[in-house]
Amino acid sequence: MRRKAVLAFGVLLLGLGLSQGPFRARLEAAIQGGGPRFAQVMLSQDKAQALCTQYRDRLPADLVPKFLEEQKALIKYPASGKLMGDWRNGEKVFTDPKRGNCYACHAGDPKEVAHGTMGPSLTGYGQRGQSEAVVRYTYEKIYNAWAFVPCSLMYRGGVHGLFTPEETADLVAFLLDPNSPINRR
Amino acid sequence: MSVRKKRLILLAGVAFGALAGLAAYTQQSKPLDPFEEAMRQRQMYLETFGVLPGDLFVEEGKELFYRKGPSGKTLEECDFGKGKGVLEGAYALLPKYFPDTGRVEDLETRVYTCMQRVQGFKPEEIKRDEVRAITTYIASFSSKAKIQVVPKHPQELAMYNLGRELWYTRAGARDMSCAVCHDQHAGQRVRLSPVRSPRQGLGNEWPAYRFEEDKLYTMEDRIDFCYESIAIPKPEFYSDVHIALTLYMLAEATKAGHSFEELPFFTR
Repeated sequence: MRRKAVLAFGVLLLGLGLSQGPFRARLEAAIQGGGPRFAQVMLSQDKAQALCTQYRDRLPADLVPKFLEEQKALIKYPASGKLMGDWRNGEKVFTDPKRGNCYACHAGDPKEVAHGTMGPSLTGYGQRGQSEAVVRYTYEKIYNAWAFVPCSLMYRGGVHGLFTPEETADLVAFLLDPNSPINRR
Repeated sequence: MSVRKKRLILLAGVAFGALAGLAAYTQQSKPLDPFEEAMRQRQMYLETFGVLPGDLFVEEGKELFYRKGPSGKTLEECDFGKGKGVLEGAYALLPKYFPDTGRVEDLETRVYTCMQRVQGFKPEEIKRDEVRAITTYIASFSSKAKIQVVPKHPQELAMYNLGRELWYTRAGARDMSCAVCHDQHAGQRVRLSPVRSPRQGLGNEWPAYRFEEDKLYTMEDRIDFCYESIAIPKPEFYSDVHIALTLYMLAEATKAGHSFEELPFFTR
């Protein structure tokens, strides 16, 4: 009975191995077929992207702590140590489709009506105040969203260099400064 | 006057109107419903020109369909899945496996391979715009047809699995995948664009004329537009990437019982 179970388990493992191998090879061939530029990006997933793909964005609970810890370690800070910069430049980075592209998902300045709805509205975000904890959370969330929610839609803009640590601080100011259009009434 | 010339004049004439419309559109205090706006634009085209831009692509595609290739044959000699020259409802069954090429093909790829195998064109002689027009012509025979993409052949099943894996693959500098928007956030908007899931009928409107871009988009063009917008360079045309993703999306739309829109569709 036990030997049968072990055997069945072995066959299962073998089956998994066999089906994983050729499938992966076929997938990679198809991606290569999309041309070198496409393949270069699709085949250079980092470890986190590969995990999110594997688990369809629902990471098993036991993998979460290490995932968060590794993502947290990727966060870099401005040399000045200041996590709140210039909200005017922050607005540029926030709006620029090649950098923050934040309006794709979030509402911000109430004057901007062409905003997405996939993320929470950020209008009035500054109500949270400017305590050290709020500033730090805002900075780290913008720099690396996956350090808080594994595999979230919100991407790791700072980690990928879409904006620098200084620009991240500018984004923080755009969200928290009372004079920013996000907070003006 | 050739269809191409007519199209050029129409598009040039309309570009200004569309641009003005778009400017008014984005400066509204409240965002308009994008579908209502598309219908309004469509009506404007009909009233001003008596024809929709998509229909000019259909006309051009028809001319090209009946053009003889180097072999002396027209595309009537190509089997698009329901037998040689049968176009009625053919698009609604694609992508599918074709024994003569030994691969799963979507309509665009089928046009591309038939132009080579049947008509004798060399790959470098085949213009993307021509394939686009012929695809639109053939797809117009499946206007409002029920989508019937059901993978059965082992190669179709393999292609479905490939498509599903690509669908979930998170990559690039924006950490994106298709699924993260089109499944997890389906029903929401990116900027003003509503985002649907395959189960909500995603993919049932292509080929379509997009008035915002002033261009005709096939399914492959639309997939490329998505990839580019998430910082992943677009795959090359007629690749298994396009075919697999198309098969996956349309198979899911089939399960949910969706039909195609009026093809070619008119959209933002």
